[in-house]
Amino acid sequence: MTYLTIRVPNWPSSALRRRGRRAAKSRWIYLVPATVFLGALAIFPLVQLARLSVSDVQVQNLNSDWPFVGVRNFIDGFSSGVLSQSLANTLVFVTIVTVVGLVGGIAAAVALRGTAKITGVLLAAMVFIWALPPVVNGSVWKFLLADDGLVNNVVNLAGLQSFPFLYDERYALISVAVVNAWAVIPFNTLVFRAAVLNVPVEQFEAAQLDGATPAQEFGNVILPALRPTTIVLAVLTIVYAFRSFDFVYVMTKGGPGTATQTLPYLSYQQAFVGYDFSAGAATAVVAVLFVLILAGVYARSVLKEESE
Amino acid sequence: MTMVRKPTSPITIGVRIALAVVYLVPLLWIVLTSFKDGADVIGSSTALFFRPTLDAYRNALSPELFTALGQSTVIATTATAIVLLIAIPAAYALARVRGIVPTIGLSVLIVLQMVPQTATVIPLFQVFGSLRILDSNTAVILADVALMTPFAIILLRPFFRSVPPALEEAASVDGASSFRTFRSIVLPVVRNGIATTATLVFLIIWGEFLYAVNFFLTPGNYPLSALLAQQVSSYGINWPGLMALGVITSVPILVLFLFTYRLLKEGLTVGAVK
Repeated sequence: MTYLTIRVPNWPSSALRRRGRRAAKSRWIYLVPATVFLGALAIFPLVQLARLSVSDVQVQNLNSDWPFVGVRNFIDGFSSGVLSQSLANTLVFVTIVTVVGLVGGIAAAVALRGTAKITGVLLAAMVFIWALPPVVNGSVWKFLLADDGLVNNVVNLAGLQSFPFLYDERYALISVAVVNAWAVIPFNTLVFRAAVLNVPVEQFEAAQLDGATPAQEFGNVILPALRPTTIVLAVLTIVYAFRSFDFVYVMTKGGPGTATQTLPYLSYQQAFVGYDFSAGAATAVVAVLFVLILAGVYARSVLKEESE
Repeated sequence: MTMVRKPTSPITIGVRIALAVVYLVPLLWIVLTSFKDGADVIGSSTALFFRPTLDAYRNALSPELFTALGQSTVIATTATAIVLLIAIPAAYALARVRGIVPTIGLSVLIVLQMVPQTATVIPLFQVFGSLRILDSNTAVILADVALMTPFAIILLRPFFRSVPPALEEAASVDGASSFRTFRSIVLPVVRNGIATTATLVFLIIWGEFLYAVNFFLTPGNYPLSALLAQQVSSYGINWPGLMALGVITSVPILVLFLFTYRLLKEGLTVGAVK
């Protein structure tokens, strides 16, 4: 990443142009620290990651020669089923987090759009929870969902058997994904709520004059107004879910078996539990490729909005 | 804001109750459990009514905990300061220059912001190993700064864009240098944006544990979040102890939150969508 080509915009008069050019030129200095730092500790590591993924690097040769093996790590990952399994887990996980996160965000935003004191308290509590470290939130839910935890206490009171939220291969991934959605809903609520509050009051008045029910008001006034926000938040939530690592680490450690092994968790486990840095790097590269696609979609929408 | 429809619909009330249960109960539960002894944790009879004890806190308040608290404070404060020093000028420049560079720059930043942390912890472990700075605060701080700088620049840029260029032109006509204009005209206008960004960066670094767990080779230097991550994933969890540690980890966040909630409420909605 170099910022060498400088395009100076055309200014009207030559004097202005000179001053503009001088000001614009001096501003390039402001980019130097970020460029140097991110070049060294964000871009360079990604290059190293790519190199690791096509080499055979275990813990003993991490700091010596890296023998080149081509795409073998990727082939191994897919042919053993480890990579494909975690890719499938990731897709399920991302889908649940995104759908629950967006639907929950919209529902909460609409329910909390008023000015009553209770809505203010609820919103503040939600944002506080969002601000808490994921490791704290994950710990609480691990406790609440345990066999003898609060949720199962309630289940038992209803006369039912304890439900294995985190200990059954069929349910663990869903449980962790829903908790992850729970953690992102406050942020989505805040952003959706700002969009709901931006809808002109006249539109609500007109809908009510026409005798619209609350459901019609929601479908015909609120939802259309939320569309642009929904698209941006959908991308952000997908990315958030895709990167998610903390909750899996805290709540299930990828288990039971490989049931909650998502791509980020698998790459961590291969590298730092199995000490196979190349396999971990190959998994991480697959994850980064997905991120590149998502980032492209997001960058286009951001840049388009700015040019308007 | 005036809502025309007065009576709240039953669905709205239902959603509010659901939100209260789902968000307030866990908060309550952390605090309650931290005041229980081991025997009262299990079973529904002692769920709400039990004899409170400070045992969990007494056991938690070890020299180890104070070391961790100190580590969290040093790492989060230093890293946040460095992030701001790097990100503020960069965000300003990217808000002001035109052409292809801000487009490329922003795209690169968006990609970096989205890369999973596990994709950077692997190569950084090798990079820091070859620099011989593993097992030091330096490694964790550098990694945290690299993690948060793209986010900070992206969040700050809209705030700088909303400063009218005419303000700076007036100052430069008066003969102020570019840096003086930036420092004494532009920065004061965007102080809310800077405060919002600083708060978020601090919050996220305070909770970060992946770098800490892997770059510190022994638990002796772990910050709070890493200590918590280590204890929750061990077998035979001591729940009151863990919840007490969770409360201790969260108290600084609560203090910060009380001071910055209004700021966050507005700043987040500006930065997120723009």
